Order: sequence, then structure tokens, then C-alpha cells
Amino acid sequence: MTTFSPPTEADQDPVPSGRPGARRGPRVSRRAWRAAAVVAVFVIGLGLPVVVSNPYYLGIATDGAVLGILALSIGFLASRCGLISLGHTTFFGLAAYTFAISTTNWGWAPLVAALFAVLVGSAVGALVGAAIVRTPGIGFLVLTLAIGQAFYQLSVQTALRPLTGTYDGIPIIYADGQTMLGRDQADMGDASQFWPIAWTVLIGFVVVVTLVTRSRFGRTIEAVRENEERARFSGLNTFTPRLLAFMLSATGASVAGVLFALKANYVSPNVFSFVTAGDSVIAALVGGWTTAVGPVIGAVLYVFGQSELGATGNLQLFTGIALVVTIAFLRTGIVGALTSLWSLARRVLLTRRTR
Amino acid sequence: MSIANLLNGVAFGALLLILSSGLALIYGLRGVINFSHGALYMLGAYVAYQSVGALGFWGALVVAPLVVAVAGVALELGVFRPLEHRSHVEVGLVTFGLAMIIERVIVLIWGEDTLPVEGPGGLAGTVSVFGSGYPAYRLFIIATAAVMAVGLFVWLQRSRTGLHIRATSQDPEMAEILGVNVSRLSLLVMAVGGALAGVAGALAAPYFSVQPSMGQAILIPVLIVVVVGGVGSVGGAMTAALVLGIGQTLGNVWAPSVTVLLPYVLVIGVLLWRPTGIAGKRVV
Repeated sequence: MTTFSPPTEADQDPVPSGRPGARRGPRVSRRAWRAAAVVAVFVIGLGLPVVVSNPYYLGIATDGAVLGILALSIGFLASRCGLISLGHTTFFGLAAYTFAISTTNWGWAPLVAALFAVLVGSAVGALVGAAIVRTPGIGFLVLTLAIGQAFYQLSVQTALRPLTGTYDGIPIIYADGQTMLGRDQADMGDASQFWPIAWTVLIGFVVVVTLVTRSRFGRTIEAVRENEERARFSGLNTFTPRLLAFMLSATGASVAGVLFALKANYVSPNVFSFVTAGDSVIAALVGGWTTAVGPVIGAVLYVFGQSELGATGNLQLFTGIALVVTIAFLRTGIVGALTSLWSLARRVLLTRRTR
Repeated sequence: MSIANLLNGVAFGALLLILSSGLALIYGLRGVINFSHGALYMLGAYVAYQSVGALGFWGALVVAPLVVAVAGVALELGVFRPLEHRSHVEVGLVTFGLAMIIERVIVLIWGEDTLPVEGPGGLAGTVSVFGSGYPAYRLFIIATAAVMAVGLFVWLQRSRTGLHIRATSQDPEMAEILGVNVSRLSLLVMAVGGALAGVAGALAAPYFSVQPSMGQAILIPVLIVVVVGGVGSVGGAMTAALVLGIGQTLGNVWAPSVTVLLPYVLVIGVLLWRPTGIAGKRVV
């Protein structure tokens, strides 16, 4: 636990190397500092329901955390491998449906069902990834879109009504007396009860993604992204690292799917829809997927917009505008823009002082 | 299987053909998948709805392509040219965002309801095809698509501009070095692509009525057709459009639950087997 790096803005060193004195002091203390910062953020975050008692805002935070995990999965794959997936709903939705079916139809304990659902989503992720990670650019985009939409069509098939309920979806019902981590079913729908679960998983996933990104493996996938051919000539296996990155991403999406089903106590074909697929990519992109916090911020903003604008139907309009503006003007998203603003401000202040 | 079912398939395939050939042209020349093509088609249909009252169907069939061609030119000048040096996927995502904006603005103007569009009076009845009656209007859609397909082929194969388009699709840098004005060509192709989307929209309006989800609903099959057809190949896209249109409509009669998966299975199979699509890198 002591060597974790923090996932917050603090770890995006705004003025890297170059400036003398920036790296003074032993490295270990720096790491310990970061680990302490992560633990602090985590503990403070756990107390959110005490500060924010309004269930409306707490609900936004909880749904934002769940969507944030999905957006981070997509953003990680997009920024580290250059593979933009319009089909992560495949794993998100499959995990959500697996959880719903195994608790409601088969009477499994929720915790077992949740683990099983993540396993199913990840296994399908491994199969899909093995088939498609070699396809470049637009081909990958269209393939993932097609796979996600194929699962949407499957979920609404009349022949599968006993299993999926088609358009009606599945209202989740735990077997008698079953609880999830000591909470009964009604508690799961309560944002203040659900928040600690969502927050813990979110922080855990952010830490995993950050560690993976900074590891040797993280540099390998980046090299493959920059120039696949050259990476291969340098003796790197370019397929396996991309597959592993895809699997991590699919697992993240599956975890998000299970959390979504747990919180809503209900799944519908919506989890597979084109809109869910597109909007989660947009949330990741607008937040800024070059950092681990970016997609989470984007997801929270999206959920906020959804509950403010949902009734008017103009959400689509603003999401579209946000996407266009981000790609055209803020290439690193909101968090990226804030980071460079901060580093600019720091540079200006520091130069003044040395003069 | 009746002849009417087969013709329905051809009619749907014909619409896909008109739309996808425009998308394939743009894809070939710019290397960018235009995700707003479905929204342009929808715009064409709504413009047709708006103008059919004053100008009649034939007037609408002229106005809609013109308006959408202007939208295509605006897309070229406002999006593709400023973002020329960005990755194709990024530009594709911008058009994805534009599609969301256009579709919502259309709904804000014309509302959420499904709107009927009056077809041309002269084609209201049915015609006897091999002994069974078939709506004349759908035959008209098929005929229009056939004429456009032949026209596009002749244009791409015989004219100097067509030669330039084919050359640029193969290798934009080399074409530019050899004196092809790629910017002007791109402007022209965006106008033609937009006009084709407008024609498809105007033709579809009396057939399917106009409704807010029509753009998104057509986008996925059209994308699939273009990618299956091959990177920027108009001929490949046309073939794939007819196969998909007929296959889906006939399948709906025989085994509807399997058929909805057909386009997805088709695109996944083709892309895994031949990542560049059935036509490879050939333009026509």
C-alpha cells in the first residue's frame, strides 16, 4: 500500500524535470507522499454523505462514479493504445445482465453474482479483444460499434424473453434474506448507502490504471501506439500488450456494469444502446483521457447534465457541442486544459520570483 | 417468397446505395468516416417535408439535395479543412458530435412527431410486376438509384474529375504533386456526397415518413455497408448495399429474429477476414 501513486491532479507534475531543484529529495519520500495523498483523498471522499446530505447531489456523485469507471476504461484504452471503442457497452451491459439474471432468476447471492458477472464480462472481453485489437483506426471503431449493437439486438429478441425480458428489462429481486456487503436490497438504491462501494471501487480502479500506465507495460503499449511497426522491429510483441490492455479495459467496463445494476436494481436494453456507448466515449474525451481523473470528471459532468437537461431532451445538443469544442480547441479535455493552465501560471510566477 | 418482398429489399438497398456511395466517396478522398451522413439524410427528408407543400414532390426532390449539398460544403469548409492535419479518427468524432447537434436542431425546429410526406401524384398507384401489384413509387426509388449508380460510374470512370478523384483516393500526396487540386476536389466531393444524402432523404420521406430517429437508424447500416464495401470503394459500397438491403428484407420475412443480427455478423465477418473490405483499395 505504501508505493501507490495518487490519482489526483497533484500527480500530474506540472513542471517536469528541467527546472533544477524540482526533483530534490529522495524519491521514496515522494512516493510515500503520493500514497498518503491517495489515502487522504479516499478517506475524505468516504465522508461525502456527511457533507452532502442532499440526495439529489449524492445521487449524481454516485452515478457519476459508476459512469466514471466505464469512461475511464474507455479513456485508458483510447489514450494508451489509440483504440477508440464504441462498443464497451458490450461488457458493461453483459455484466449488468449477468448480475440481474443470476440474482433474480437463479437466486444467487449478490456478491457471488457480482463476481461472476465481472468474470463473464472480462472473458467476453478477452475473446473480443483477441479478435479485434489488430484492426486499425476506423475499422476498430466500426467493429466495436457492430459488436455492441449486435448485443443490443440480442437483448431485445423475443426468443430470449424468459431470460432478458426484452424491452421491459429485468427488475432485480434478491432471493429471500440475501444481502450485499451487509446491505439489503432497498439500501442499495439509496445513494448514501451505495456511495462507499462506488467510491472504493472507483479509487481502486483509478490507482490500478495509474500504476499500469506508469509501469514498463504502460510504456510498451505507448510505444506500440506510436509506431506499431517500429515496436515490432525492436523485438516487442505488439499483440499481447494490446490484448492485455483491452482486457483490463473490458474488466473495468464490466465492474461498472455490475455497479450500475446494483445501484439501479434494474437493467434494460438501454445498457447496450448506441447512445450509452457514444456518450461514455464523449464523457471520457471531454473530461480528458490523457489523465486518469479526466474521464471521471467528464462522467460526473455528464450525469449532472443528464439530470438537469434530461426532461428537455436537449442533452444530446449540449453533448454534441461539448464533443466538437473539445476536439477542436481543447485536445486534452477539461482536466488537460486545467493542468496546462496551472503549469503556465506556475511558470509565470516562478520566473517573476527568480528575477 | 413473393416478388413484392424481393422488390422491397431492392428498394431499401437502393436507398442505402445512394447514401453509401456518397459516404464512400468522402471516405475515399478524405480518409474520414463522416458520422453526420445520417443527419444529412435526415436534413434532406425534413427539407423535403417542408418544401413539398409549396413546390410539390418534384420541387422538393430538387430543393432537398441543393440544401444538403450546401451543408456538405459547410462541413468541408468548417470542419474538414481546418482539421485537415488531425487524425482521421478525431475528425470522425467531430462529425459524430455534429450529427448529434444537427439531429437535435432538426427536432427543435420540426418537433418530435412523425410527419407524413405526400408522394408524387403520378406515382400513387400500383404497377403490375410479373402479375402482382407493386407500388409505383418504390419502383421509382429503384429506378432513381439505378440511374445515379450508372451516372456515378460513368463520372468516375470517364471524366477527368473522376480520374482525379480516383487518383486522390489512391494516394493524395502523389495526386497533389501531379497537379490535382485536392482542396477543390474535396469541396466538390462533399457537395456531391451531401446532394446524394439529400436525394436519399427526399426519396425516403414519402416511403418511411420523417421522424427524429431516422438519421441514427440509417447511420449504422450505411456505415456497415461502406466498411464492408471497402475503404472508399463506391462499387464495393453499392454491392454491399444491395446485398444488405435484399438480405435484410427477405430475412425479415423468413426468420426475423436471426435477420436483425445479419448486418453485424456481416461486418464482423468481413472485417476479420479482410480488414480492407470486399473491394480492397479499389475506388470503383
